[in-house]
Amino acid sequence: MSDDFERLSGLTPPMASPEARARALAVAMQAFDAAEENSAATQGSVRPVRQSSIFNRIWSPIMNRKLLAGSALATLLVVPAAAFLTLELTRNGAPFGERAQEIALKEKPAPQPTPKPALPAASPEGDLARVQDETAPGAATDQSVAEQKAQAADQAAAVSEEKFNADEIANLLNRSGVNGAKRKTMESETVAPAAEADAMANSVARSTAPLSAVGGAQPQITYLPAPVTEEKLVAPPENRERFGKADSNPVKSVATEPVSTFSVDVDTASYAFVRRSLMEGQMPERDAVRVEEMVNYFPYDWPRPTSVTEPFKATVTVTPTPWNGGTRLMHVAIKGYDVVPAEAPKANLVFLIDVSGSMDEPDKLPLLKSAFRLLVEKLKPEDTVSIVTYAGNAGTVLEPTGVKDKAKILQAIDSLQPGGSTAGAEGIDAAYALAEKAFVKGGVNRVMLATDGDFNVGPSSDDDLKRLIEEKRNGGIFLSVLGFGRGNYNDALMQTIAQNGNGTAAYIDTLAEAQKTLVEEAGSSPFPIAKDVKLQVEFNPAAIAGYRLIGYETRALKREDFNNDKVDAGDIGSGHSVTAIYEVTPKGSPAVLNDDLRYAEAVKPAAEASPHGGELAFLKIRYKKPDGDKSELITTPVTEANAVPSLAEAPADVRFSVAVAAFGQKLSGVTALNDYTYDAVIDLALASRGADPFGYRSEFVNLVRLAKGLGGSRN
Amino acid sequence: MRAGTDLDAELVEKAVSGDRQAFGALVERHYDFVHAVAWRWSGNVSDAEDIAQDVCLRLGAAIRGFRGTSRFRTWLYTLTLNAARDHKRRQVRDHRQMQAYASEQAVAAPHQDPDAERREVLWVAVRELPEKQCDAVLLVYAEGLSHAAAADVLGCSEATISWHVHEARKRLKTLLGKEAV
Repeated sequence: MSDDFERLSGLTPPMASPEARARALAVAMQAFDAAEENSAATQGSVRPVRQSSIFNRIWSPIMNRKLLAGSALATLLVVPAAAFLTLELTRNGAPFGERAQEIALKEKPAPQPTPKPALPAASPEGDLARVQDETAPGAATDQSVAEQKAQAADQAAAVSEEKFNADEIANLLNRSGVNGAKRKTMESETVAPAAEADAMANSVARSTAPLSAVGGAQPQITYLPAPVTEEKLVAPPENRERFGKADSNPVKSVATEPVSTFSVDVDTASYAFVRRSLMEGQMPERDAVRVEEMVNYFPYDWPRPTSVTEPFKATVTVTPTPWNGGTRLMHVAIKGYDVVPAEAPKANLVFLIDVSGSMDEPDKLPLLKSAFRLLVEKLKPEDTVSIVTYAGNAGTVLEPTGVKDKAKILQAIDSLQPGGSTAGAEGIDAAYALAEKAFVKGGVNRVMLATDGDFNVGPSSDDDLKRLIEEKRNGGIFLSVLGFGRGNYNDALMQTIAQNGNGTAAYIDTLAEAQKTLVEEAGSSPFPIAKDVKLQVEFNPAAIAGYRLIGYETRALKREDFNNDKVDAGDIGSGHSVTAIYEVTPKGSPAVLNDDLRYAEAVKPAAEASPHGGELAFLKIRYKKPDGDKSELITTPVTEANAVPSLAEAPADVRFSVAVAAFGQKLSGVTALNDYTYDAVIDLALASRGADPFGYRSEFVNLVRLAKGLGGSRN
Repeated sequence: MRAGTDLDAELVEKAVSGDRQAFGALVERHYDFVHAVAWRWSGNVSDAEDIAQDVCLRLGAAIRGFRGTSRFRTWLYTLTLNAARDHKRRQVRDHRQMQAYASEQAVAAPHQDPDAERREVLWVAVRELPEKQCDAVLLVYAEGLSHAAAADVLGCSEATISWHVHEARKRLKTLLGKEAV
């Protein structure tokens, strides 16, 4: 690879065409002259400029940054003000020179904690006044220059079209024809502020001679610190929704990696998102599809644990794979103990609601209000509810109020009004403060965050936010996320928030979904019966050659993390069920992908002779009691006794979940299912629909039909 | 270039104090450098010309405020890199608008020379890197700067540059590894 990098130096750049060169030089001179005219207006400052330049040159090697930091900071503080002024002035198109100067003068008396005795001529005040004199008019004239430049650039594009090489085609395509006109306006818009920014960054250099300081300061001034990574910025997504990227799990060889470990996941956001996408006539983005969330969306009637002492029960079914004759599916279903309502602990719920302007859409705030009304009806009189909103600034709408005061709560819900921009950081602080105020010892303390998109954490970073949520989680306050709307939904962040807060992330697009999430599952999700639930499956190399975990890509854990109680994992609420499906390749099957290891031969007979010879795999579940810190272990061996000879003989719920898993994998582009058609998924789902009292499964079949219609060539 | 450093210093100083001729000479002297850097970052001539012109514009507007004569070149790097980034963002935006109108994808003509093609792939891959990594790699390898000088241009520490280069290497390995298959 280092050789590769060396090759970068091998390429000699082509010379610029003389015309372009001449044009650029002319533009430079024009800009220079434009700046000159403006400086003529403030002739008095020219002499000090030169002096300070000499001073700076002499002093810069001697002065260390410590001495200059003060003035640099002071300048930095005032530069945004200058930027704002400049922007305002350019926008208004007012006569610049005089006004700018006036305002700049008013700026002067601002307190300047600067060590200036060393540099009388380069005093920050003088600099500032000058900076503003120069930047404002400079930028203004830049605009006209920029317009000329835009025309010139278009000509340049036309000229160079004749001689493009392969690598230009893409770029030329981008700029040709349609957006020529747009481009012109855009350039004049963008160039002017950019020039300003440079001028400003440079003014920093004026008082802080070492140029490295400019380098340091410039990125902050030129580009507003983007809350997203560069990678995300460069990618041109069609909408601004962001999803954590994870490739589908690969097929792993049992010989080399016999153990698979992951955290349970009871989130359902992905299914609702896929549904919405398909309903709108669009195939969902592959990254938005998380197969395990789709599978876990549906209520299944897995065998239940019989007592509280056994928080959940695991049922394993091994069936042939419908989409691959050579493999089998190992279906692991876990059902949490259903807390009888009488035993449900007192709840202290804090709703943190995004009321930013973007929530003002029928499928956002109004939907949220209806959903909360449903939930309030469902809560017990002694439970408390509080509401915090966040937009321009965070505000407490409702102090912790007992549900017996239902009217007051409903009134508070009705009073929610959208408006302002998002400032999540204060909101979350306020929400946690309220949750602590009404803390119920031994009860359920949960913050429920409802938002339509970016959870803008303000000055703190995403990491700080995660840390805060983790800290509060350890203090007994959990956090769930309810996503609303579409177009700006930051799925990845929401996932992380919920996962760190021991909560679920649900995506709510219809009132029915709100009912399912908030009301029906209010009895489960907010009442965890076990936390940090991890699953580990060890496959027996004597029986299984390879395996592939379907979904759970974002939930993978390291093998050694299974026994490490410090590693966080998902929760299971009362009545929750979690389903995980492995596609396993039996030994000797024609579908085996990995060849046998030549040198593993010697070890094998020992394995076959072991007392666990008849086992296919060994399932281990580790969990903590909701208030416990030490984990407990449940183990189940998987043998041929768990197997059914054909999929048709498997329980209906198993078949349905397999259909969902197949659909999810098709949507996320898993190649193994290329030959398995949507029709086959529909047949499988229809045959296993069962009673379907809420119509969830029929809806699923409809979605598959929609996808089939949309997918077209992708069968 | 080394021989002209003194001349540069003189020209910069004069230009800063408002000498039109000196500024003209200065831009004349450095245009090719700016253009070459712009070309390395953008990957094609017409974009490089646009960026270079942009840099000239910014130079003209900002030169009077420039301090630190000896580091004119570092400043040019910074200006050019910023202009290249702005240009790229603008293009991404244009590209998105374009996509609304045309769904055709550009198909690059295959190269005759396999070595040139390999290099082409590498260049494309490097430009696909996250901004900071791309900048670091290009400054160090294409521009031949030391890690310290690159750190100066990008306004970060030397260790950060080394780290970016290291990360870029890791990333490219997977990127190119995949493409080779």
